Parts: sequence; C-alpha cells; structure tokens
Amino acid sequence: MTTKLLEVENLTKKFPSSVKTSEGKGEFTAVDDISFSVSAGEIVGLLGPNGAGKSTTINCLLGVIKPDSGSVTVFGMDLQKKRTEIMQKVNYCSAEYNLPWHLTVYEALLVFCHLYSVKNAKERISELLGLFELEDLRNKAVRELSFGQRARANLVKSLLNRPRLLLLDEPMASMDPDIVDKGIKLLKKIQKENGMSIIYTSHNMWEIEQVASNVIFINHGKVMAQGSPLELTKQELKLETKEPDLREVFIRLTRRKEKPL
Amino acid sequence: MWGIALRHIFLTMHQLERFADLFIFPIVGLLLWGFLSQSVAFASSNLAVFFIGGLILWTMFERVGTGIGIDFMWDIWERNLMNVLASPITLVEHIGGLVWVSIIKVIISIAAMWLIAALFYGFNLGSLGSSLVFLWANIVIFAVSLGIFNVALIIRYGHILGPLTWIIPFAIQPFTAAFYPVSIFPPYVQKIVYFLPLVHVFEGMRYTLSTGKLDLVRLETAFVLNIFYFVLAIAFFSYMFSIVRKRGTVAKL
Repeated sequence: MTTKLLEVENLTKKFPSSVKTSEGKGEFTAVDDISFSVSAGEIVGLLGPNGAGKSTTINCLLGVIKPDSGSVTVFGMDLQKKRTEIMQKVNYCSAEYNLPWHLTVYEALLVFCHLYSVKNAKERISELLGLFELEDLRNKAVRELSFGQRARANLVKSLLNRPRLLLLDEPMASMDPDIVDKGIKLLKKIQKENGMSIIYTSHNMWEIEQVASNVIFINHGKVMAQGSPLELTKQELKLETKEPDLREVFIRLTRRKEKPL
Repeated sequence: MWGIALRHIFLTMHQLERFADLFIFPIVGLLLWGFLSQSVAFASSNLAVFFIGGLILWTMFERVGTGIGIDFMWDIWERNLMNVLASPITLVEHIGGLVWVSIIKVIISIAAMWLIAALFYGFNLGSLGSSLVFLWANIVIFAVSLGIFNVALIIRYGHILGPLTWIIPFAIQPFTAAFYPVSIFPPYVQKIVYFLPLVHVFEGMRYTLSTGKLDLVRLETAFVLNIFYFVLAIAFFSYMFSIVRKRGTVAKL
C-alpha cells in the first residue's frame, strides 16, 4: 500500500471579483471542489492554462491562502492546524520570486536555513551549492546572478531542509533548454536519492514528460483529466502510442468544453 | 512637453509619495517651523537642551516606526516575501523579527547620537537619568504600534500605501511637541494632541531636563495610551491579515 503524503479533498477557493454573476455575486471561483492525493516518492505534474487555478492550489497547499472549504492533509496532519510543523518538511520554489537581492548567495541561503531550522547549515549549503555548480558564486550578490544562476539558487533554497514534499511552481520558466535539461536531471537524481514527493507546475510540456509519473490537468479550477503522461496521451488523443504527447493533450483539454472529472 | 507633463500628472494621482510632495510635506513643514518660531519667542534658557533632547528622542521614534515598514517592504521590493511566507514561520513571527531588528538598530543609532551630542554640544543624554528608560520604552512601544499599523496597511492594500511608512511620522511630527511645549498650540489643538503618547513623552523629557525629577504622571499617561494603541494595532493587523488570506492578495504582493 502506498503512503499518501498529501491528500486534498474538495478544495474550493473563491475570490471577490468586480464582475457580477447572474445571481449578483461578485465572486470568481479559482479552485472549484478539487480532490487529489500525492504518494510518497511520487512526482505529480500540475498542468493547466494561465488562470486555471494552479498557483492558487499551490498557495492553498502552502497555507498562504485560506481555502473557503475542503481540507488539506499533509503527512497525516491538518494543514490549518499544524502548518508550522508541516512546513518544516515542505519547501517551495518559483522562478517568479527571488532570494534577498542584496545578500550574497551564501548569506541568503543561511537566512533560509534559520527559517527552516536546518541543522549543520554551513555543510548543507556547501553540499547543495556543489551539486548545483554554484560553489564559485557563493560570495556573489544575488542581484548579480544571471537568470539561470538565480533559478538554480532558488532550487538550492528549496532543498535546504531536505523536504519530504516539494512544491515547484514553474521553477524553470524562461530558462534556456540547456539549463532546463541540467536542472531536470539534477532534480530527478536528488528525488531518487531522497524519495521526496514533488508537485511540479510548468507550461513546458517536455519538462513535465521528463519528471512526472502522474499528471493532473486543471482548467477553470476543476480537475479535467488525471493519469500518467502516456495514459493521458492515449486517453485524450484516442491513439495507440508509446510516446507521451502532453503538448497536444494540453491544447485538446484547454479547448474542450466537456464536463470535468 | 504636454505628454511628459501628463505622465507626471498621472503619476501624482497614482503615487502617494508624489501627492505628499505636493501637499503634505510643504504644509507639515510650515506647521513645524511655525510652532518652533513661536516657541523661540518665549524661549527659556534651556532651549538648546530641549532641542537636542527632542531631536534624539524623535529620532528614536522615527527610526523604529519607519524601520519596521521599510524592512517589510524590502521583502516585497526584492520579490522575496512569498519565499518567507512559504516557510514555517508565521507572519506574526516575521513582524516580531522586524521589531527586534528596528530596536537593535535604534540602540546603535542612539549610542552614536549620545556620543556626538556629548562631544559637539556638551549635551549628556544620561542627564535624563532613570527617566530615559521610561521615555525610551514609551517611544518604542508607540513606534512599534505605528510600524505594525503600517505593515497591516501594506499587506492589505499593497506597496502603493508603503510611503505612509515615512509620511505618517513626518505628518504627526508638528503635533508631538518634540521641539516646543504643548502650550504653543491653540487650546483646541492641545485637547487633541494629548491623545498622542509622544506629547507626554516630550513634555516629560522637558520636565526632567528642567527639574531633574521624574514626571511620573505624564509617563504613566503615555504608557496607558501606548497600551491602547498597541492593542488597537494588533487587532487591526489581525483583521487585515485575515482579509488578505481570504482574498489571496498576500501572494500577489
């Protein structure tokens, strides 16, 4: 039996909207009654078009946004009640955010080691900087790093506390294919060694095909399809193939007007 | 030329700090120096001592009060806030950390000002005796309350209200009686400004510098007002934070 590391049940999040509905309510449903789970060691790709509800889902999983209804259980604990305890073993990375701009790479990482109560912080930072080929940049200010170097430093930050669950929200957005390829390989290697679970969102279908064993496709806040990249390809494109084609699946599902799962 | 002018008219309409440049800074400047000029007309022999003492205590307030808001905004400017919010620490612990940093910074600044005032102006801050501890505590509590109030506004309305962090202390400065006695104000203004703990602090400072005694009544009044404002700031912050978690806007800062 596989251990469920994360269980999301009937998660719903609505935001106030200036556009009134027919009932007169000015509300927009970003996440609409979604349920899914992530097993230990599993990498789940969370796909969907812009505004589908991916980032809102991730923010709910981080406890940064309070859902209107539904529950999030991580490591068997209720996120609303045990957030601090849970977050010690969860981490997050997005290319949209930076490490503190004016600190050196080492200083910035040391700050996050304290926020996550990481033991042997200096050794852990050196180990990860070495893995991500950033050792030479440890004393360079974060603002002086190139885009790719900054993204790698963000990934280092997200691994400092040896997370059991890692939430990656478009971690390699706008990076060149060479850096993405290196990053993916490294991430898979670390994941294999540590057995951590990952939720990975991206608009680059190749990335998802490389990392995810399971894909959840959401649109308008609802789960539209779920399965392995190959299963989804066969199911949605209605063809027999041995190669996944998530790009075509993405287009097909985004344009589909059928009811969600 | 009109295009350039139009751009800046729009900016003035959208940016609080530009609006403050137009109205708040000139008016507040006039009020401060106006009251100061009046007080000089009735100057006592202690005027210079009052000025320097007032300046040092005012700096304590301004540094702590603005420091909390500015340090919080650095996380927004550097696009690092989400990384911090996603960590195990709570926003309350985050603000608590900023308060500690501001207090430590102000202790260092005050030590430097104490030395400079003694070397250049022969003013010894230690002449305030035990009163200094009570004055300092009251100033820090009010500054922390203001800092928490500012952060609450920033998390709710975004960094568009960030400039309030330095506009508010500047705007209330003429009414705190930092550099002149409360008696300079018209009677109806006096009734209002007594609701500011800082007024009691500065009056207490002048009393101690003149008599060498502790003005317990004023310090106690300042303390009671401070507790009220501190509780109010915490309640306001909790309310604003619950709104932003519900609306999800905190992730967009």
